[in-house]
Amino acid sequence: MTETFHSLVKRLLDGELSLSDLPPELRGEGAEALRLLGAVDRAPVALSAEFETRVMAEVRRRARSPIRRVWRGLVEPRDIELRLRVRPWVVWGAALAAAAAVALLLTRPPQASEGARPMRVAAGDSVYVRFVLYAPTARRVAVAGTFNQWDQTASPLARVGAGGVWAITLALPQGHHQYAFVVDGAQWVPDPAAPGVDDGFGRRNSMVAVTARGARIL
Amino acid sequence: MGQREQATDGEVVGAVLAGDVEQYAVLVHRYRDRYARFAARMLGSLDAAEDAVQDAFVRAFDQLAQCREPAKFAGWLFLILRNRCFAEQRRRTREGRPLEVMDEAIAGPDRPDGNVEQMEQAHALERALVGLTPEQREVFVLKHVEGLAYEEIAGMTGATVASLKMRMHRAYDRLRELLKEHS
Repeated sequence: MTETFHSLVKRLLDGELSLSDLPPELRGEGAEALRLLGAVDRAPVALSAEFETRVMAEVRRRARSPIRRVWRGLVEPRDIELRLRVRPWVVWGAALAAAAAVALLLTRPPQASEGARPMRVAAGDSVYVRFVLYAPTARRVAVAGTFNQWDQTASPLARVGAGGVWAITLALPQGHHQYAFVVDGAQWVPDPAAPGVDDGFGRRNSMVAVTARGARIL
Repeated sequence: MGQREQATDGEVVGAVLAGDVEQYAVLVHRYRDRYARFAARMLGSLDAAEDAVQDAFVRAFDQLAQCREPAKFAGWLFLILRNRCFAEQRRRTREGRPLEVMDEAIAGPDRPDGNVEQMEQAHALERALVGLTPEQREVFVLKHVEGLAYEEIAGMTGATVASLKMRMHRAYDRLRELLKEHS
């Protein structure tokens, strides 16, 4: 059985209490806890002398790359504003199309190609983003990302009906967030609806950009 | 390099974005050591830490135009490094080789004022640290190695103080458990 520190001892370790603040029966445990912190190694870590040379060589190589400018132009986020002139026949046409889409959704099971896509639901300091994944054989699905410290347990998706669709709506702060779905606690799945970004190890994460105007996948 | 080193982060970032790539060396020099210890404690290896810090600097250069607050380059770089450390942890977990042994180079270096018992305790704690979850290890390292307050850690990571404390308190219990197992 796990032996846990008393809550007052944890406050001692947090620096909120001193050993003399503890009741006498806890001072032994407190002293043990302080010995733990006393063993913390705070010595500076020295990187190799060639570190800066290596970094700058790589930086120069990338700066010279002829595709760098083109690539930056493609991947850097830009705000795009659409100005639409709405005519009455467009409104009626859109209404009819929406009605048809609702009817299809009510009568057809979701398709795998729908994948997952975050979308804006509301705006404020944070923006609500809905994550959806079609995973009919999954027993559990979660979304992990930079917004929850890649915690696989923090944001579990819930089943939506019986068609294999999982979803969760999260309030995300403005900024860029990388994420991936975690299926059955083991399989990391990038968003099938979003182009991936390299996580540095040959695998892909997805990225969503959250701004005051909404959210969009990158 | 004196004038360059006195420039603010925002000024240096602006110069690099304007095409003076060599100015980036100022940022590399300024922050390499600040984050090396964090990465070493997170990854349990000096080699892995050096790779992670190097990769973070290169990624930061690639994405420099997306740094919305150049004056806060250090915090932005930290987030890139932190994600890199978490990604490394996930990669090792996927490959079935989680963090294990600390390099001797960072596990309790020789201290002139230290004795054998202190050295052994330091080694035991470093071994126990790699048994924490990455999130637990992060908050422990930032608070007890880097000496930051919960409020500062919250500002850097975006987590709330309450959730950081909960994470830390679980880390204390887990460390106690691991240290007893190792002894």
